[in-house]
Amino acid sequence: MNTLNQVLLNPAFQLGADLDGWRAAGGGQGLDAALADPGAIIATLEAADLRGMGGAGFPTHRKWAAAAAAPAPDGDKYVVCNGNEDEPGTFKDRHLLRWTPHQVIEGALIAAVAIRANRVVLYINPHQAEGRAQMRRAAQQWAGTEAVRRIERLIGKPLEIAVVATSGRYIGGEETAVISSLEGGFPFPRRKPPFPAESGCHGAPTLINNTETLANVPHILHHGAAWYRGLGVGDAAGTKLYSLSGDVLLPGLYELPMGTSLHDLIFVHGGGMLEGKAFKGVFTGGPSNTLLTARDLDVALDFDSVRLRRSRLGTGAMIVISEGTSIVRKVAEYIEFFANGSCGQCPSCKAGTFQMARLLDRVDSGRAGPGDIAALRNLCRILPGSGRCGLIDGAVTVVESSLHTFPAEYGVAEPAPAETA
Amino acid sequence: MSETVHLTIDGREIAADPTVSILQAYAQSGAELTANVGCMGQGVCGSCRCMVRKDGERQVSTLLACETRVEPGMQVSFIDYFLPAHVHHYDLKDLHDSWGMLDQIRAVFPEAEHCRHCSGCDRACPKGLPVQSGVAFSVAGDIAAAAAVFDQCVMCNLCTLACPENIRPNHLGLFVRRSVAALTLRPIDLMRRLREVASGEMSVNVTLPRVETATAAPRLAAPAQDR
Ligand SMILES: Cc1cc2nc3c(=O)[nH]c(=O)nc-3n(C[C@H](O)[C@H](O)[C@H](O)COP(=O)(O)O)c2cc1C
Ligand code: SF4
Ligand code: SF4
Ligand code: FES
Repeated sequence: MNTLNQVLLNPAFQLGADLDGWRAAGGGQGLDAALADPGAIIATLEAADLRGMGGAGFPTHRKWAAAAAAPAPDGDKYVVCNGNEDEPGTFKDRHLLRWTPHQVIEGALIAAVAIRANRVVLYINPHQAEGRAQMRRAAQQWAGTEAVRRIERLIGKPLEIAVVATSGRYIGGEETAVISSLEGGFPFPRRKPPFPAESGCHGAPTLINNTETLANVPHILHHGAAWYRGLGVGDAAGTKLYSLSGDVLLPGLYELPMGTSLHDLIFVHGGGMLEGKAFKGVFTGGPSNTLLTARDLDVALDFDSVRLRRSRLGTGAMIVISEGTSIVRKVAEYIEFFANGSCGQCPSCKAGTFQMARLLDRVDSGRAGPGDIAALRNLCRILPGSGRCGLIDGAVTVVESSLHTFPAEYGVAEPAPAETA
Repeated sequence: MSETVHLTIDGREIAADPTVSILQAYAQSGAELTANVGCMGQGVCGSCRCMVRKDGERQVSTLLACETRVEPGMQVSFIDYFLPAHVHHYDLKDLHDSWGMLDQIRAVFPEAEHCRHCSGCDRACPKGLPVQSGVAFSVAGDIAAAAAVFDQCVMCNLCTLACPENIRPNHLGLFVRRSVAALTLRPIDLMRRLREVASGEMSVNVTLPRVETATAAPRLAAPAQDR
């Protein structure tokens, strides 16, 4: 059986803003199933083991249950589709927005049914102009449909579907920054708690999900949890969009069963390494995550299996590096990205990324002093958790992981004891 | 005699007397002082900027090592001098009268108007100055108020490092302080003293400490002044 592009990237669904076409291809039935038994939606997602595809792999049903249970002080509840995607190496959501807007919007409408939300916000990065245009057109096509009227009868108020441009900044994708942005301000992250599901946009319960997460929902409601679980390899459920880039022959976006091995992604689907290049490692989950090496090629690419290797699946980005590329240089570039992306609120975020970048530069250019590696490790210890959001933690993760997986590049013989744990 | 305090500085475990500053503890531990020290403890040069995470706290603060007393379990990371890609150039002779001040600020520090009010500079300042308001006063043209905000600034550059809009608040502060000085009458006692020095009436006798030229001598970092 061909395991490529079975669901989200299924050629039959790559229609753009064409609601009739989407219905003809089987769309709309997930929403019908949801409306027929709204009380069963969250349990179905739980049985399907759907996880957040925005990077954390957080169980989707738990967030939905919290938002459903949260009282709405002013009567408003929000569902937000996070389409801010801006991290180097991740290019999955923009495809879904551009080519399958109805798949995404139907997922958001099912969320509205599940938590009784009256405001659906499609929060789209303006740098993805075509995706934003398709989402606008697609959102208009739902207006006045029988499905929307049924949702309005269920929630007892008008349903608003809005397409909102994000600030176009990387930090704008962090979930509390999404809220600041929707309230009209600069996308400053906020301290949690309160969690958005309890108190988000203008104090209203706000469910924020990644675009890919929502795109899976109509199919799960339509075909059932057992079907979705069956798509994955082993214990893993469903499929995953992998953004494959770097020194491979066929970089691109691949939808494969969750739990496909790293080896198969790179060497079967990705066509292997570029001619004359030898495999060195992979930045898994993009710049804010971890590295895997040749001895991990057998790892199953699902949230839990990757974690067992001291690594993280993240957004499913896989940036392949070949021999001859300096890992330290690459990590320094990523740290620079985070330094520029910092919102500025937490001094340790700017000062910490700056100092890590300085130390990495010294290591990379062979000017590192005897204490510099200890200083870098020290930063990896003191910085996590010091920011309001996860940006600084992501920056530390990639430094720490590179120290652990490629100690020789840092001139260190073995990983420090704390890192082998 | 009080108990010894254990802390880490740049990942190195250090034992110190509880009454000393981080910088003193570092120097007494035998560390080679090749950077992050200037005035050696007077809190005026801004070189000893560091990040500190106190035991049991999540927050990491930016502080001056010579003005912060050691505490058990403290974790310290010194911060290099931050030199931004863009340096501001101006000539105080261009300031003929105060009517042109607002235009001058706009011309030399155009990014100051982009302040996003993140308060990062306020939190970063080890002297606790309300830096953000100093930027706002400058942009509004209230130069006297802006200069007053930056009066205690030691040019540690931490607000410049913190600012996501690359505003360089301390350099803006230095500019407004210099401008105020350039546009006001010089204090009469200063003018008198300078005359006395020039005429030889008052002799200036500076005895510099002798510095060994051997390579083992500590290389002291240049103070982090505007350049
Ligand atoms: C710095 C930062 C940037 C983020 N950017 C995005 C983004 O662009 N898109 C996204 O879906 N999630 C992003 N996230 C994750 C969100 O905070 C949030 O976890 C996610 O949207 C939740 O959706 P999910 O549960 O469906 O994964 C970001 C997180 C951080 C810390
Ligand atoms: S950790 Fe960085 S990006 Fe996140 S809130 Fe703090 S300063 Fe902003
Ligand atoms: S750090 Fe910069 S942007 Fe933030 S408040 Fe200060 S001057 Fe404004
Ligand atoms: S050594 Fe601390 S301010 Fe000069």
